[in-house]
Amino acid sequence: MREMTFVDAAREGLAEEMARDPSIFVVGEGIGVRGGNFNTTVGLFDLYGPERLRDTPISERGFTAMCIGAAAGGARPVVDFMFIDFLTDAFGDMFNQMSKLQWMSGGRIKMPIVVRGCVGVAPSNAAHHSGNYYPFFMHVPGFRVVMPSTPADAKGLLKTSIRSDDPVLFLEHKSVLTLKGPVPEGEHLVPFGKASVAREGRDVTVVGIAFMVRRALEAAEELSREGISVEVIDPRTLAPLDIDTVLASVRKTGRLLIVDEDFAPCGAASEIAMQVMERGFDDLDAPVKRVNGLFCPAPYSPSLGEHIVPTTTAISQALRDLLAE
Amino acid sequence: MAFEVVLPRLGWNMEEGTLTGWRKKDGETVRAGEVLFEVESDKAVQEVEALENGVLRIPADSPAPGTTIPVGTVIAYLVQPGEQVPPRKSGLAAHVAPTLAPSAPVSAAPMAAAGPPEGSAPDVQTVPRHAQERSGRKHRAISPRARRVAAELGVEWSRLRGSGSSGRIVERDVRQAAAAEIAVEGGSRMSSGVRASAPATLTTEADASELVRLRNHFTSSRTPVVPSYTDIMMKAAAFALQEHPGLNARFEQGSFVRWATVNIGIAVDTERGLVVPVVHGVQSKTLVEIARETADLIGRAHSGLLRPEELDGGTFSITDLGMYEVDAFTPIINRPECAVLGLGRIVARQVVVDAEAGNVAIRPMVALSLTFDPGLADAAPAARLLQTIKQCVETPYLWLAGR
Repeated sequence: MREMTFVDAAREGLAEEMARDPSIFVVGEGIGVRGGNFNTTVGLFDLYGPERLRDTPISERGFTAMCIGAAAGGARPVVDFMFIDFLTDAFGDMFNQMSKLQWMSGGRIKMPIVVRGCVGVAPSNAAHHSGNYYPFFMHVPGFRVVMPSTPADAKGLLKTSIRSDDPVLFLEHKSVLTLKGPVPEGEHLVPFGKASVAREGRDVTVVGIAFMVRRALEAAEELSREGISVEVIDPRTLAPLDIDTVLASVRKTGRLLIVDEDFAPCGAASEIAMQVMERGFDDLDAPVKRVNGLFCPAPYSPSLGEHIVPTTTAISQALRDLLAE
Repeated sequence: MAFEVVLPRLGWNMEEGTLTGWRKKDGETVRAGEVLFEVESDKAVQEVEALENGVLRIPADSPAPGTTIPVGTVIAYLVQPGEQVPPRKSGLAAHVAPTLAPSAPVSAAPMAAAGPPEGSAPDVQTVPRHAQERSGRKHRAISPRARRVAAELGVEWSRLRGSGSSGRIVERDVRQAAAAEIAVEGGSRMSSGVRASAPATLTTEADASELVRLRNHFTSSRTPVVPSYTDIMMKAAAFALQEHPGLNARFEQGSFVRWATVNIGIAVDTERGLVVPVVHGVQSKTLVEIARETADLIGRAHSGLLRPEELDGGTFSITDLGMYEVDAFTPIINRPECAVLGLGRIVARQVVVDAEAGNVAIRPMVALSLTFDPGLADAAPAARLLQTIKQCVETPYLWLAGR
C-alpha cells in the first residue's frame, strides 16, 4: 500500500468528501489560499474557491456560531481551529448550542459539524498553543471526540466525522502530523467506538492516547527485549469509548497502564480506569496505573518542555513497576 | 553500602525457619558464595550463601541460633570495611524485608525549581509507589484476579505468600501454588518418546448399591441441584487421587509434572465430536458446586461456547459410557493428562455375596476401567488408585468425610 503522512492522509479524506458532497465547506484562519497553517487544506482552494474554503478574521466565537447555524440549516461545515486552544473562545456556543440543539429539538435538527484542530505539546509552542482539552468534550453528551494516531486512521476517521450527523471534535496531535504510514486509496471509513490493538501482547496492557500510542509502542519494543510482552491499544475515539477492547485485553493480561499526555485529574485515564474497575474488577491483578503529562501549562523554554510529555523511558519504567505490583 | 542478610524462603510454601547456626563470625570478611549460616525448614537443614562480598555484622538483637523466625527477617548485614551497621528502627517484626526490593520512584520531579503553585494537585507523572505501608495491613491482600483464579483452580490462598510489591498475592502466586512442581522421579530425564508407550487399562467391578442409594437421597431431598453419577464420581476420583497423588499429573515438555490440585475433565459427546471441559480444583469444591459447574460446562460444550481455558489444565478425566449399555472398556487418555477413568452402566446383576453360605443376591453393579500411562506409574500404584475408587463407590461415606 502507498505511504503518506498523517496530514496528507487527512487532507485526502477531506478532499474526497468535498468532491462527494457540495454541502461541505471549511472555515478558519488561513485555510484558503494559504492552505492552512498545518497544510490541512493545501490545494483545495484551487479546486473549490472561497465559497467552500472561507478565510475568517480572528473571531472564533463568531465563525463557530455561524457554522452552528449553517449545520442546523443543513450544511456540513468543517471548522478548522488550527490550534485547539482557541476553541475556548467559542466554548459557550459549542456547549449550549452545538451539543444541545439535537436533544432540544427532539432530533429534528441535526448538527453535522466537524471542529478540527491541533492538540498537544510541541517544542516552544508554550502555554497558549499546547492544549489538549479533550476531557471537557468527553464529559458533555452529544460530542464525538476523535483522536487518530496513524495516517490511515486520520483519513478514515475524518471521512466518518464529516458524514456524522453529530458534532465531532477531530483532534490532530502535532507530533504525528508528519508520521508516515500506509493509507488505503478511495473509500476508507473507520467507525467510531472501535479501538485498534496496535500491538498484541500477553503480560500487560497499555492504552495510549493519540501521540502516546507511538511512545507506548516504542516502550513495548524496548520491553520485548527484556522478555516482557506488552499489548498496546489505541482507542482512536474517546467518545464513544470502546471499553470492550480494553476489557478483553485486561482479561488476558490482568494489568493496565494508561498513558496520556494530557493532565491527569478528571482525564481520559480516569474514565477508562473507572470503567475497567466497574466491569473488569475480577480480571485485575494490580491497580490500574497511569502516566500523564505534568500538571502545569506548557513552558516556552525547550529545556523545560522536554519534561512535560511522558517519555518512552518513563513509560517503560512504569510498565516494569506495574509488573512488579 | 550495607546489604541485608535475611532468612530466605527455601521452597514456595515455607513461612518460617529455624536459624540453626552461623558459619561465619561477627566481623569476619566474607565473599559472595561462601556459606554464611544454616537454616532448618520443615524439610531439611540447608546452607545459605552470602550474596555479596563484605564484612559480616550480626547485631546484638539478631535472633539467637535455635530461634524460629519468619521468612524475610533481617538477621545480619554485610557492610564495607569501616562502614556502620544501619540503625534499626524497631524490633524484628518491622524488619521483615519485602519479597521484592522496592525500586526508586519512576523519576524525580524535574520541575522542582519552578514548582507548582501552592494548593495545586501534584503531578502524577511521578506517582509514588507503595502508598500503603506493609505494616498496618491486617488482612492478607489478594488481587481480585488472583482471588478469581484461586477459586477456579481450587487453591486455598489464605496461606500463600504474595509476591506483589506490597506483599499482595497476585495471579502468579496462585498459579505457582496450583502447579506444585514435583517432577516425578526421573521424569525430567525422560524423552517425549515416553508418550508413545502404550497405555494400559485395569478393570474392576464395584457394588453400586450405596452409590445409588446416595443419589436417590439427593433426588428426593431438596438439594439446589441434583448431582449426577458423574459428579459424584468426580468427587470420589478427586479423593482417590489425593490418596494416590502419583497419578494426578500432566505430561508437559518431556516430563511428568504432578499437580497439587485435582482438575478433572469430563468427556462430553457433542455434534462437533468429543469435547472435554475441565472442572478445576475438584478436591475443594462441594458436590453442588461441581454439579452446577458441570451442568454449565456441558451445556456450553453442546453449544460450542466454551472458552479455551475451560478445556485446558486437566490432570485426570472421567468418561461415562453407561448410557450406551457399555460395561468395561478401554477409555482413551486425554493428553497431556496421564490417566482416565471409564464408567460403565449401573446394571442389576446376580452376585455372590457369601460364598461359604452359598448366597447370591441381585445388586446394581458398575464396571470401572482405569487407563494409565505406564511411563508415569507402574501397574501396582494404578491398581491401588482403582481400588480406592472402587471403595468410594461401595462406601461413599468414606470420602464424604474428606481427608
